Amino acid sequence: MRAEGTPSAATRGATGVRVAPAAAARPAGDRPPTSMSTRRHRAFYMFASPWIIGFLLLTIVPMVYALWLSLTTYDGISPHWRFIGLANYRELFADPVTWDALGRAGLFALTSVPLSIVAGLGLAVLINRPLRARALFRTLLYLPAVVPPVGAGLAFKSLFDQNSGAANGVLNIFGIDALGWLADPYARYVLLMTVLWAAGNVMIISLAGLQDVPRELHEAARIDGAGAWRTFRSVTVPLLSPVLLFQTVTGVIASVQTIMPLLLAAEPTTGGVTAIPQSNYMYMMHVFAEYFALGRYGYASALLWVLFVLILVVTGLIFRFTSGVVFYNVDPEAKK
Amino acid sequence: MHTRADGPLSRRRFLALSAAGVTAAGAALNGCALPVAGGVGGSGETVTLMVKAEDISPELIRQAQRGLGIRIVTVRYDITKLIAMLTSGNPPDLVRGVGAVDTPYYAARDVAEELDPYFAASTVLKADDLDPVNDLWRYDGRTQGKGPRYGMVKDFSQDSMYWYNTAHFDEAGIAYPPTSEPVTYEEWLDRAERLTRRRNGQTIVFGGSYNGLYEATNLSTLTAAAGGSLFDDDLARIDFTTPEARKALGWYIDYCRTRVGPSAIQPDPNAWDGPTYQAGRMAMSNSGYWLGGMINTDEKLAKVSRLAPAPVFAGGARVSPCQGGTGFWMPRKARNKDAAWRVFEWFFGEAPAKARAGGGWGIPSLKSLRPLMPAEHDHQRRVLAAQEAELEHFSVISFTPYITAEGFKALFNQVAPAAMKGEISVDTLAGRLNSTINEQLDRGKEQVG
Repeated sequence: MRAEGTPSAATRGATGVRVAPAAAARPAGDRPPTSMSTRRHRAFYMFASPWIIGFLLLTIVPMVYALWLSLTTYDGISPHWRFIGLANYRELFADPVTWDALGRAGLFALTSVPLSIVAGLGLAVLINRPLRARALFRTLLYLPAVVPPVGAGLAFKSLFDQNSGAANGVLNIFGIDALGWLADPYARYVLLMTVLWAAGNVMIISLAGLQDVPRELHEAARIDGAGAWRTFRSVTVPLLSPVLLFQTVTGVIASVQTIMPLLLAAEPTTGGVTAIPQSNYMYMMHVFAEYFALGRYGYASALLWVLFVLILVVTGLIFRFTSGVVFYNVDPEAKK
Repeated sequence: MHTRADGPLSRRRFLALSAAGVTAAGAALNGCALPVAGGVGGSGETVTLMVKAEDISPELIRQAQRGLGIRIVTVRYDITKLIAMLTSGNPPDLVRGVGAVDTPYYAARDVAEELDPYFAASTVLKADDLDPVNDLWRYDGRTQGKGPRYGMVKDFSQDSMYWYNTAHFDEAGIAYPPTSEPVTYEEWLDRAERLTRRRNGQTIVFGGSYNGLYEATNLSTLTAAAGGSLFDDDLARIDFTTPEARKALGWYIDYCRTRVGPSAIQPDPNAWDGPTYQAGRMAMSNSGYWLGGMINTDEKLAKVSRLAPAPVFAGGARVSPCQGGTGFWMPRKARNKDAAWRVFEWFFGEAPAKARAGGGWGIPSLKSLRPLMPAEHDHQRRVLAAQEAELEHFSVISFTPYITAEGFKALFNQVAPAAMKGEISVDTLAGRLNSTINEQLDRGKEQVG
């Protein structure tokens, strides 16, 4: 409400430039109209706030708490825990079990990520073709990816049990003696199979990427005399490269954090910590054992922080070394 | 910070407000003291039990609420949640625990309530009626089995006793082990090897399973049977290189190497012997009386099953401990201790205890309830006779307060499979186990103080 005789909200000054009225000239209680920009800001933060608050509460606060824990000997309930500075980190870097576990996780990432990307892409290329019952094939191939990990883990465990599993039944048909699939040295291969079995996730993303490749580019390549393989290599793969990069980064992060199939395929116990084959004793299993079996909250938190930093570094390196081969339709450097 | 009520919400201002919000929310969460679903609802006759689903059925809870007039809420047992509740000062009123391994751990950390005054005043749970197995829940700061009581066993087994299936012995032409006198561990393993049947790399029949409940208690028991002790007097060091511990470890590694039963290098997908034994694929199982609960429900299996005493080592002592002793303990900071004790009395001395005693899934932990153990059929009377004779050889074997059984298992399984596969010698294994486990014991000792 504006008092009588006061200037309008926007008047022209002596130079004719539109200026805002002086605040002093406004009576108390009078509010200036909210600009469009302010309203937009307000709306943005209002709608984004649930996520931002959740991020702060559920990600940043626990991370800072874990960082604090990593500097202590805290074990949950013992009365004499203390601040030890970087001792957990020093121990971690000198601990051969940690390095072995990290090495196994790295090796697993190096094998499982390329294999699952190639498998997923291969399947995507297959079901992107005009086939009869294509929808059915897509559904069937994607089905393993929607099976809950617990169900999948238990199914694989039954399938590969040495004495009653179907896998050894098949081997016996061919006169081959049963193998101890769930023990060393075969346990790592079973783990790899569980990952490849669920390649439907990778397939769906690759399929979406394939369908985004402009048809006219394929036609142009064909007119230029390129065969199917050359077209795939020189047209499809470059256009799919952002998708492949995404799958590589998320795949590496997921594979070094693998724990659920390890727990499920191992010998279960009353307390939850399992007798896991050495070849599957990977980094997150080590973290799990330190947290829940040994109660070393501080040391396990240090392990997680190191893993966090390692993932950041590896992700950065992947971006760095793929910058020359990833083709973006949209400039990734664009700010707006 | 100066802010304008009507100005645009700058990023800086928004983040500042968010940080304040986070702090306030954190304080609020802390104030709520981790109110888990179904947690304690303030003062009054409400008791929170942290249990596993199999410990107490919803029907039993309804009965308790009707009979005692106390509201009971349950929280699923989860060690992480328990620690969170203990550290936030809002623990459950009663917590399930495994007496053989949990008593020293919680008592030494001063988080468990001493229950002696409650037992002294109780008309339901009288001290002279308590089976000696309840000593698993006593700890005097140095020795398990002595000192104040911190909990009670709901029912138990002498877990080194073993069941055997006579049909497999008949098939292999091997004489049955006696049910009144123990065989030696060497004889047991020899029989297990002869009873094992394999075809095309698959084990059709496991000759015998001898894993115990935990590696830690199993190896402690084996060492005691060899005449020694796995831990030193103050329970702060472990030594696998003493002759007795070396003998025990060597025997267990032989058991694993010969693959006569499940182990870390030959995992059993069922996780326990029950289904394999019931399926007729296991000739012997060291599960103790407890397995009778399952065997009794299968008449054909019950008729061919025998319960035998715990084996001995030549020249060693005859020991037959309980490696579990699952029961409840009361956190020191529990809010409704008197009501919790009333539930405790009901659970361990009244209707649920009587029902458990008659079920055959364990020996009752009150001597007065022993007449309720199943003895209707011949096979039940036979089993009962073997069990009653074995009770004379019960003893408590102290476990260390400085590592959990799960921690022991995790460290053991990092090192031992190489020996089970014959890649390293038992002596090398003993040295490595000493090194890794003692390191953890040192940490535990420092934290307990």
